Amino acid sequence: MPDVQQKARIRPLDELDIGGIVGIDEKIGGKYRPDFWEQRVVFYLRRDPDASRVAEVDGKVVGFMLGDVRAGEFGLEEPSGWIERFGIHPDFRGRDLGKQMFDAIVTHFRAQGATSVRTLVDGKEAGVVGFLNALGFAPSPLQALEISLKS
Amino acid sequence: MKVENVTLEKKYHSAVEHWQRHNFKDYPSLLENWQKYFPTDDEFCLCAKMELGTPDVVQVGDFKGEKKRVKPDEMTEEQAKHLLAIIKAQASTEFGSIQQHSGTLERAMDDQDRYWVMRVMAEELRHGYQMLHLLLSEDWSHVSGGVTGEQMFEEILSMQTGGHVLDAFNLDYDSFIDNITFAAVIDRVGKYQLTMQKVCAYKPMADSMPPMLREEAFHLAAGVVPMRRWAQRAAQGDPLLSMEMIQHSLNKWVPRGLEMFGDERGGDTNVKFGFKDMKNQDASDLYYVELTKMVRDINARYIRARFPEYETGKAEQVIDELATARGTHHGVTYDDLLHVPDKRFFRRKGVHAFEMVGIAGESFTDADEYLRYLAKHLNDGYIASRDMRNYADALRKVAAGEITRDQASKAMPKLKRVGGTCPCSKGVRWVMEEPTGEQTTVARRSGH
Repeated sequence: MPDVQQKARIRPLDELDIGGIVGIDEKIGGKYRPDFWEQRVVFYLRRDPDASRVAEVDGKVVGFMLGDVRAGEFGLEEPSGWIERFGIHPDFRGRDLGKQMFDAIVTHFRAQGATSVRTLVDGKEAGVVGFLNALGFAPSPLQALEISLKS
Repeated sequence: MKVENVTLEKKYHSAVEHWQRHNFKDYPSLLENWQKYFPTDDEFCLCAKMELGTPDVVQVGDFKGEKKRVKPDEMTEEQAKHLLAIIKAQASTEFGSIQQHSGTLERAMDDQDRYWVMRVMAEELRHGYQMLHLLLSEDWSHVSGGVTGEQMFEEILSMQTGGHVLDAFNLDYDSFIDNITFAAVIDRVGKYQLTMQKVCAYKPMADSMPPMLREEAFHLAAGVVPMRRWAQRAAQGDPLLSMEMIQHSLNKWVPRGLEMFGDERGGDTNVKFGFKDMKNQDASDLYYVELTKMVRDINARYIRARFPEYETGKAEQVIDELATARGTHHGVTYDDLLHVPDKRFFRRKGVHAFEMVGIAGESFTDADEYLRYLAKHLNDGYIASRDMRNYADALRKVAAGEITRDQASKAMPKLKRVGGTCPCSKGVRWVMEEPTGEQTTVARRSGH
């Protein structure tokens, strides 16, 4: 068990965090996806490297939250902070790391002029929904719609 | 963050574009394909970006708490001279790296890697433009020996590979591996320099740093991510890529990266004047730790590709075991992994200049034996270069007691431009600076 006294450091994402994020994702989802995470991390680093956050304990990445500020998409003219992906290593849950990363990313969104924070969630993921609710997210009038193109 | 975009006076802006046409011919292709490779990102802007809302008060050094300076003549003469040298060196590195990248850009195996490097080049062009803005927007003539902003501008744009201020920007690339390693290793030094200069007591310099730093984050990724993928391909047996090729490139660039921080004993003046918040040794130590982390990350990618059934924790364990026991793990040896060379390896500047130390810290006493060792651990194209010949000549003289290590550091020849005003001029010569300050031409190359 990790030492619960070890203090977490919340800091901006960098390119050397890819391995750590791949490891957390694999721990959570059971799949090793380095190519996918390389593309996603580079995407966020080139758009706004100060926005996305990682939580580090004893020099190891144990959590991440990726997002950026966008405007003009889906008819939303005002800048909105979008949180796309996040994850916390199962051994480090219950330590408020998600909240700490969220607070840091929201501070940055505010400084960027964002007036709201948005995300999408699969309603069947009860744990994720609960986490987002605890952060203060509430259902939005905007609805996610889709059409399946599978034959 | 709020940023103000500034464009240079038309004649200067046009001169930078002219320079770009000669030194970065793929620039139009980058702009045409921007949305393909960087969808939804803002279009590229060739302009200086000044961060608004940065601190107004000096944050470190002798003038801490005072109002930041906004004009060169608000600084002491010594301060202004020192800062001018920093700005010119910074400008030189930005333009220098584009010239280096251009030589081997077309050899990229992968289009994405090539366009990533092209974006890096475009942003370096913008960073150079930023430094030119600092030189041209105020009058520095009282500390430049009467040299005008226009003359400094021309001097910087006329530099060729070999004539730049810092050694790392005077080395030709031997393959596209150098493009990638340079982004991962040398741009990382850039990140440290820009971070340290965020506090700069000269406000226009401090305001220049945050936008440059944000772009630098991508530059590092443009180096590290292809290296990770190459490690994967090497592990999977791709005959066109090997860990040894990457290691040889690291051996070429890491020593130059360490030297870019300046002599390990120095940096006090920068802190005293409030230009940077760390001394050379402190910054280079952090840099070295970061390189170690980078290499470990790439090694983990290699081990995972060799043993797909291993989880991350197991891969880390294998790396630790190989480092401790130097044994073999199912055919993988410690030497198959990447290593950050010892800080004293292949140095030509600083406290370890011309010491003969191997990658793992092993010592050598015979110059030719050490040169044979270097020949084994650097790529062939680089070994057969003038840069290596100059190094070998100096090393032999140091080993024979004919010159001191300090004299050898100062005696490494540099390319200098012969003359003329056209930035396209390639008329350059190798010159050796004598102890008297005079210059002796040792070789010449020309063309236009």
